[in-house]
Amino acid sequence: MDSSLESWQKEVIRCIRCGACQNVCPVFKELQAESTVARGRVKLIRGVISKDLDLTDGFIDKMSLCLMCKACVVNCPSGVKVDKLVEAARKEIAKKKGLSPLKMLIFRLVLKNRWVFNAGMRTGRIFQGLVFRKGSNGQGMLPRMSLGIDKRRLLSPLAQKPFKSMYPEVVKVPEATMRIAFFTGCMINYIYTDTGRAVINVLNQNGVEVVIPSLQNCCGTPVRINGDYETAKTMAKANIDVFLKEKVDAVVVACGTCGLSLKEEYAELLKDDPNYVEKAKKLGSMVKDFTELVVSLEGFEGKMGRLPVKVTYHDPCHLIRGLKVKEQPRQIIRSIPGVIFEEMTKADTCCGSGGSFSLYHYELSTKINDHKVESVHKTGAEILATGCSACRMHIEDGLNRQGNPVKVMHTAQLLEMAYQAGANPSPVKHDKGKGRKNLE
Amino acid sequence: MRLEIIQKLSEIVGKDNLYTELEDLYCYTYDASFVKADFKKDLAGVAVYPSNTEEVAQIIKLANQEMIPVVPRGAGTNVSGGTISVGDCIILVLKRMNKILEIDGKNLIAVVEPGVITGQLQSEVERIGLFYPPDPASQAFSTMGGNVAECAGGPRGVKYGVTRDYVIGLEAVLPTGEVINTGGRTIKNVTGYDMTKLFTGSEGTLCVITKIIVKLIPLPEAKSTMMAVFSEIVQACETVSEIIATGLVPCSLELLDNIYIRNIEEYAKVGLPTEAGAVLLIEVDGDSEILAKQIGKIEKICSQLGAVQIRVAKTKEEAEELWRARRSAFAAVSRLRPTIIGEDATVPRSSIPAAVNRIQEIAAKYNIIVAVLGHAGDGNLHATILTDETDQEEMARVEKAIDEIFIATVELGGSLSGEHGIGRAKSKFITIQTGEVGLEVQRQIKQALDPNNILNPGVMFGA
Repeated sequence: MDSSLESWQKEVIRCIRCGACQNVCPVFKELQAESTVARGRVKLIRGVISKDLDLTDGFIDKMSLCLMCKACVVNCPSGVKVDKLVEAARKEIAKKKGLSPLKMLIFRLVLKNRWVFNAGMRTGRIFQGLVFRKGSNGQGMLPRMSLGIDKRRLLSPLAQKPFKSMYPEVVKVPEATMRIAFFTGCMINYIYTDTGRAVINVLNQNGVEVVIPSLQNCCGTPVRINGDYETAKTMAKANIDVFLKEKVDAVVVACGTCGLSLKEEYAELLKDDPNYVEKAKKLGSMVKDFTELVVSLEGFEGKMGRLPVKVTYHDPCHLIRGLKVKEQPRQIIRSIPGVIFEEMTKADTCCGSGGSFSLYHYELSTKINDHKVESVHKTGAEILATGCSACRMHIEDGLNRQGNPVKVMHTAQLLEMAYQAGANPSPVKHDKGKGRKNLE
Repeated sequence: MRLEIIQKLSEIVGKDNLYTELEDLYCYTYDASFVKADFKKDLAGVAVYPSNTEEVAQIIKLANQEMIPVVPRGAGTNVSGGTISVGDCIILVLKRMNKILEIDGKNLIAVVEPGVITGQLQSEVERIGLFYPPDPASQAFSTMGGNVAECAGGPRGVKYGVTRDYVIGLEAVLPTGEVINTGGRTIKNVTGYDMTKLFTGSEGTLCVITKIIVKLIPLPEAKSTMMAVFSEIVQACETVSEIIATGLVPCSLELLDNIYIRNIEEYAKVGLPTEAGAVLLIEVDGDSEILAKQIGKIEKICSQLGAVQIRVAKTKEEAEELWRARRSAFAAVSRLRPTIIGEDATVPRSSIPAAVNRIQEIAAKYNIIVAVLGHAGDGNLHATILTDETDQEEMARVEKAIDEIFIATVELGGSLSGEHGIGRAKSKFITIQTGEVGLEVQRQIKQALDPNNILNPGVMFGA
């Protein structure tokens, strides 16, 4: 990642403007304006490089209208790295125009400094009841007042205690066959601790000792894709140091976005830092998604009990197109006795979350999400499994808006349920149509 | 663009369906062609997205009254520069008119709005055992309106013809704002001049298409796919001519030259012999009983003319694997050089060997890379120029080479464009083929329908 936007000249001219991205871009599907599809974004970036255009508010707005879902990248006949180009443009914007004050505060103070993040999140938990109310199915919470985010936006409540404080730094098992380090990521640590718990339970039951390094930070992706490279580099280096210190067989993630940053993007980010680039590559080579690791464990299917439920699966963008993990979660779901797996149409289309995209472009992100909710609904599934907490929150929000009771969870949680059913063979009560209640 | 015009347009389509920001308009200065609009001179004044015929008619009436140029646009996937903005114009995007109005299985026709995606119509009709054959490479995202306006073709052209062979009726808005209905729902129809065929391929210069009636055919029962490898490209070209001369009609007959073969193999590892001069990918379709017989005959011709390797796909998966080579062709060569210019000179099928020869001579003369990948079965050779647009000296040679390829094509009795259209890219060459009289007649037709020259000015006839 060279410092200047001009250095991307060679990449922008590779776009032959064929228009194939129109077929897959979720933002274009809703907006239909040429400036909102990948080839339009590439043309605009080219316009800035050739000095036809400036970094105007219009340009900044167009660059913000990208979910970074990589659908265009994998479908591009010329293989143009559109996501990297948009990122480079955002970096240029951050450099020349600065970040918005709110983003500046979040990125530079909160995400970068673990203790501030922790303190903020603890305080946040106490006060969140004042500003948020419960969602209609008792799920999640809705803003009570305007926070610059839409009042209909369902956010999941912060956990009682951060995940990392619930476990010792090393979760031991007798006669461990493997030792791994778990990169929790922010959402698992502060919101979806149930996913983290499931990861540990499942791995422990397979004889895997889990190390949860307490000094790990946010992976830095939210900072990097919004253009703040300096902060992102500091965060990357901190995580590299923390994880390379551990004597482990693998570094496991339960989020495609965090996983991709550790596996590939750190090395790209630090490519001009001779000291860290090799370390980044070394860390990268150790990274595995939870489902990748599980399917490689001998006898992981043996401990399952019956789960008589219908399940569908949503592919998170950065898990399928980033870490290229597609079959492993399906293999896990299919191997659970009693589960009927129903593939939804367009399982690999973005849910519309895009991290902070869903906060800044809520209306649009909701429209994109509606298609996903519709696909989920058509399968008749009672459980939607997925591999990313941001997708989970966004799809839960969509289901909530439409009063749909489908339960959303990480693949690890479904597997944990199957293991629990195996340990307590009392039949899981199951009543069609009220799936969610019975599963809780 | 004057504020009052924008105000009026906004009243017609609604303010959410109209764009005036610089960054939005900048994105209508291109399409999939190599034609470059001059940003300072050619930036559009406004882009509008009407939702029905009535709105289109109102926009055109206003434009005609005010003498404002209008550039109709679908998905902007044409490769002849037919949809790029010209000065302070109105970009008229028809993507919101995207409904399949009717699929009539009794009369084997479909009625669609112009913004329907071609591939979407195809999958809808195939679900009930019917078939809409035209298959331009962009079918997954191109619109039906654009396909009709450009008379799009595709690999299946060899057996099934092109868009023109399926359009039997149109509703269109004329440059003066009146709505015209041409043709109809019948297969036979000789009432008056064939306006349907005139409008099909008119590249947005005569009307804005607002409704399309296409005929459908029964979906062929089965397909069989094979690949033949030749050590010399001339053998492959002769094989194509021989297959056609024998009276066999494959549904696809695709030629890949050595440059493509080497790059595809390097990129996609499909098991192509990299020293081969050419590969033919051949597909036949129809009733399953006759397929083996047809493939057998083609296999025999291939061996007689020197094929060194023949692979007939035994399963659907094997066929898919063979097509993967063809589909990855573009991606493969785009890794070689950054800029790709796809030409589509088309020659009578018996002239394919001569045409390939001439293209290779021209490439050598100007010291540029020209790869050949063609729908050889219908004489439609896609000479692909692999270059780098930032290298001005090389680009000058490329331009000269393209000029010579056009002249060579016409000399061989061929056409300047088989399926891409003239647009802005080839308008200066049009008389080599039409002659002065031919061009004058076309000009008069244009003048009669569009007295103020508001619809897509510059396309086909030059500036």
